[in-house]
Amino acid sequence: MGHSLALRQVAGDSLARMREIISALGSRGPTAPRGRPDEVIAALHHIPAREARWATMPQWVRAELASAYRSKGIERLYTHQAEAAEAVRAGRNIAVVTPTASGKTVCYNLPVLNAILENSDTRALYLFPTKALAQDQLAELHDLGQRLENRFGVFTYDGDTPADARRAIREQGHIVLTNPDMLHAGILPHHTKWTRLFENLHYVVLDELHTYRGVFGSHLANVLRRLRRVARFYGRELQFICSSATIANPGELATRLTESQVEVIDSSGAPQAEKFFLFYNPPVVNRYLGIRRSYIGETSRVTQEFLARNLQTIAFANSRLHTEVLLTYLRQANPVAPGQPDKIHAYRGGYLPGERREIERGLREGTIRGVVATNALELGIDVGSLDAVVMAGYPGTIASTWQRAGRAGRRSGSSCAVLVCSSAPLDQFMAHHPDYFFGRSPEHAHVHPDNLEILVNHLKCAAFELPLTAEERFGDVDLAALCERLEEAGYLHRTGTHWHWTQEAYPADAVSLRAVTSDNFVIVDITDQPEVIGECDFPSALTTLHPKAIYLHQGQQYHVERLDFEQRKAYVKSVATDYFTDAIRYTQVRILETSEAARAAAHAERAHGDVLVRSQVVGFKKIKFFTHENVGAGKLELPENEMHTTSYWVTLERQLVESLPCSVSERQNGMYGLLYALESVATLLLMCDRRDLASAIGERPPSPGIQSEWEGSLETTGQLSEFFEPNLYLYDAYPGGIGFSEPLFRAHELLMQQTQDLISSCPCERGCPSCVGPAGERGERTKEAALAILNQVRAQE
Amino acid sequence: MQTTERFARIAALKPTRQRVALETPPVRSEDGDRLAQLVGGTVERNRYGQHLLVRRWYAQPEACEASPDALKLLLSPAHGRARTASGSSWPPTAIADTAQWLFLDTETTGLAGGTGTYAFLVGVAWWDSGGLQVEQFFMRDYDEEHAVLEALNQRMAARRVLVTFNGKAFDWPLLEARYTMTRAIRPRVPAAHLDLLHPARQLWRLRLGSVRLAELEKHVLGGDRLAWSRQRDIESWLIPQIYFDYLRGVGSHLDLAGVFQHNQMDLRGLAALTGRVMGLLNDSSAFPCDALELFGLSRMQQRRGQEARAQRLYERAIHAGLPRQLDASARRQLAILARRQGDYDHAARLWQQLLEAGETSPQDLRGLTKAGFSGIQRIEAYEQLAIHFEHRVRKPRRAIEYTRAARLELRRALRLGLVELARGRKLLAQVEHRLARLERKGGQIGRLLERP
Repeated sequence: MGHSLALRQVAGDSLARMREIISALGSRGPTAPRGRPDEVIAALHHIPAREARWATMPQWVRAELASAYRSKGIERLYTHQAEAAEAVRAGRNIAVVTPTASGKTVCYNLPVLNAILENSDTRALYLFPTKALAQDQLAELHDLGQRLENRFGVFTYDGDTPADARRAIREQGHIVLTNPDMLHAGILPHHTKWTRLFENLHYVVLDELHTYRGVFGSHLANVLRRLRRVARFYGRELQFICSSATIANPGELATRLTESQVEVIDSSGAPQAEKFFLFYNPPVVNRYLGIRRSYIGETSRVTQEFLARNLQTIAFANSRLHTEVLLTYLRQANPVAPGQPDKIHAYRGGYLPGERREIERGLREGTIRGVVATNALELGIDVGSLDAVVMAGYPGTIASTWQRAGRAGRRSGSSCAVLVCSSAPLDQFMAHHPDYFFGRSPEHAHVHPDNLEILVNHLKCAAFELPLTAEERFGDVDLAALCERLEEAGYLHRTGTHWHWTQEAYPADAVSLRAVTSDNFVIVDITDQPEVIGECDFPSALTTLHPKAIYLHQGQQYHVERLDFEQRKAYVKSVATDYFTDAIRYTQVRILETSEAARAAAHAERAHGDVLVRSQVVGFKKIKFFTHENVGAGKLELPENEMHTTSYWVTLERQLVESLPCSVSERQNGMYGLLYALESVATLLLMCDRRDLASAIGERPPSPGIQSEWEGSLETTGQLSEFFEPNLYLYDAYPGGIGFSEPLFRAHELLMQQTQDLISSCPCERGCPSCVGPAGERGERTKEAALAILNQVRAQE
Repeated sequence: MQTTERFARIAALKPTRQRVALETPPVRSEDGDRLAQLVGGTVERNRYGQHLLVRRWYAQPEACEASPDALKLLLSPAHGRARTASGSSWPPTAIADTAQWLFLDTETTGLAGGTGTYAFLVGVAWWDSGGLQVEQFFMRDYDEEHAVLEALNQRMAARRVLVTFNGKAFDWPLLEARYTMTRAIRPRVPAAHLDLLHPARQLWRLRLGSVRLAELEKHVLGGDRLAWSRQRDIESWLIPQIYFDYLRGVGSHLDLAGVFQHNQMDLRGLAALTGRVMGLLNDSSAFPCDALELFGLSRMQQRRGQEARAQRLYERAIHAGLPRQLDASARRQLAILARRQGDYDHAARLWQQLLEAGETSPQDLRGLTKAGFSGIQRIEAYEQLAIHFEHRVRKPRRAIEYTRAARLELRRALRLGLVELARGRKLLAQVEHRLARLERKGGQIGRLLERP
């Protein structure tokens, strides 16, 4: 049960209402008596109200700007806003880290607008991770602009900007709101058209900094290298103003992205209303298999508890499909008279801007009582504050969970946030370790800007933008050597001290900041007239679009007729089958170089270094829906995929393996179960997408230095070979590595401890999808064996 | 780990193309001079350094005249948009002074644009001594770019009207970017910029489909009779690679010489085409024009508000014999012009002619695509006639007949998928609405008026 139950200390109406709901939630589901570990309310956290801390408007703020803010009701600043404004004024780079709805836009708009009013040549570039956020800021700045007699120009510049408006934006935009992708492919390669902007560019605002992590963050760091380089060409050094949700290392992240000294401002002066935060864990319906009641259905019921009491509520789902399902459930539960507007709406990507604005307004004005949203609403879109937030499943990171929860929070009265846990390991980990969530943020955002694959792609773009010289610095690499290499490959030509671009192609087109590779497969539906229905990245294509696979797209099943590797096309036909397919992949890892190794226990070692991962889809299984029976299989001959990347690994030495109190097959099952749990916890610690990390088991090479034959493992059960001295690998699923291995190596003890917590606190008996993987697939005693291995790995000498 | 080993694994470092086997053996660089010899050029020097200059005079094409009226047609913005900075700061009379004209065409390292695309060969030309003087500035390496841009500036200072083919969208913005990249040389902004691409499209796309310069030379300027031959011209898509190969010292100088010749021909073609366009715009009756040219010309006149001229040209075009669909278009334009002038009876006659001329049988419709479907014009004609007979002639029964015909045609088009669904349905709703009203009216007044 949650540690911080503080119900006693609070009184009042709102509390009574919340208490009513909480007790209603507690009594809805379980048949089990209270106080059991599987009680549905896994945690109840009370956040008391907090008064605002104020600071006066700085003296240097121009009168007209102060009065514009005053007319919006802002007469003085929260302490963190004043601190941020002063730091920017003094020329320092800053990262503001404060909760949702703490007025962070003032932190950058105030000093930037003041500078523009002082000198109308001043220019600023605002980068937002999504177009919708830029639109939202545009509205805010237009509002300020009107109060300032439109003395500055603000424009969004993105893929939707009409061609004939672009010229005006380039000339007249004091503040240009855009996204990293547009900066990368639309602005930097055409910087000569933006002379006016670059010659006067002072400020770069990076909003939602925590979203720039992993591959995307590593790309962004390189885009910013290019931006600084182009700015220097026009004689400008840039000042960065960042804002971020709460993570453990905002300063480090900002410094790595901007490659500049950044001051962190993280003491919020904003007031906070009283709030309850609940973790709701759907009741277990099958203890043996560890199956819980559907979290989507439960989310709908929890949301309905709030709506029924006329509390304005947002329900968050993690996929578009779930958004639609929830919307259907909730509309059924809240019918409206014919001709009346719906009170429940969905809000997700793919809606037109007009529709979105309409919903945002409905929420602010209260005509809309409920919204089902994807993460499109998680970032700083202004919809006012609501009474309750219900999340269907853990959003993947603690930071985004808090951001979503921040959508609830009336200035007066209480609000409530509920996390409805799914059976996924991370959700169950949270349900059983609320302290981990409510304590200090453990999440580190990692980037690896010097990943050579990424860096070289941006170096090409940089050369396109301005000739390169050997004296320049572009990341921590030997630039001259790289340029020579690019010259040999025909991309550059050296003239005197400069390398010039010598390709017809426009290099930015070949680099996508978001996708892991830009090498996508197009999915063509040939049921009738050929029609493109989607795209799929290369690694996923191998496992989901192999010939004879059943591919699921928007709930429709397709049979893959043909996979054309040359043309990067998959031809599919619409079918209705009662099975789905699961690819069997053969993965082999070879250690190329160990960067660091250390003893983990008497008979276990931990290490990280460079590896070569070879994987091949060798077959597939047909699995029947619902019963999950194996109803067939097939062999496949697909090309091998080879990737050089970085990995963290744990070696279980022979003595350890042999001392385990289990049979050979139980041992093997235990290793796979342990790896499954390790991977889950690692994604939690690394704050990364599940797809960014992968795992494999392989026999340790006989002795260091000697390259063994390939030792591999089949990612499926029943065909396990015996390992005598296995390495458990967690590797970066991106060529060249994305910087996860070393942090994992450093966090080894924490990783082991939390994996142990995850497995041992899981109420299932023999393993389930929430801990070591589904019992049915793993076999008997998997959970026990995994715990036994963990005990040994953690045993000190 | 070894750097080289590491590099070997980076996909982004892999060469993009298989090296094509070269027909001619590579020539190593003792270079500039050999090339200069081959293309007949000299090494020039200005305050930014050296570059290669090729100078040639051609008796053909011959110089042309330009009238201020013709220039107005060329200069006034095609879509009513505001004049751009490089539009025209001079009055048409000044621009008509052909001594101020500078033809320009560049050869570049790519077509994508952006700051990494270079104009390695800049060709200019002007009328001189009754013929065409051509000059080409070439950078033998990237470090000669400044000198090339400076040389161009000098020519542009002497002649202030820029004449190009697609230069407004491509060559000139690219050169502007190059000037900005120098951070030292400011471009000499032309007083006016005449771009022949749009007029060429309006005049000839209907006939030729494509209006690439080489196509125009062949079909509009009389191909074989030209003083130059494109027979051994290089493919323009090869040009960037020829230059890159030259830079690396692996290319053939002969190929590069081919690029110089290509550029010379483009400049001569541009000059000749300018003469042809000026001739048409100055006085189309003096030129033997075909129906399609006349049609294109009339559209140009109409877009620029020269309605009377447009009307005459449409009539000449119809007279000269247009293909069915364009004939319908021409009659439609004439009908619209007539209506605007208040000559409703004439407009009605034209709509009727349009219907008679283009009677489509169901067989004709088969295999038609949306783009090739002229039915929309027919439906419009029926509608216009319905309006005419309802409101002006006041014969509701005739109006009903035309509306029914429109409905029939529209339904057929919808069934065959020849109109976009949304548009077709919207039109159909309009037609049904009119029909309902007419039938109501017809029920009351029609019986009284029309029945004996």
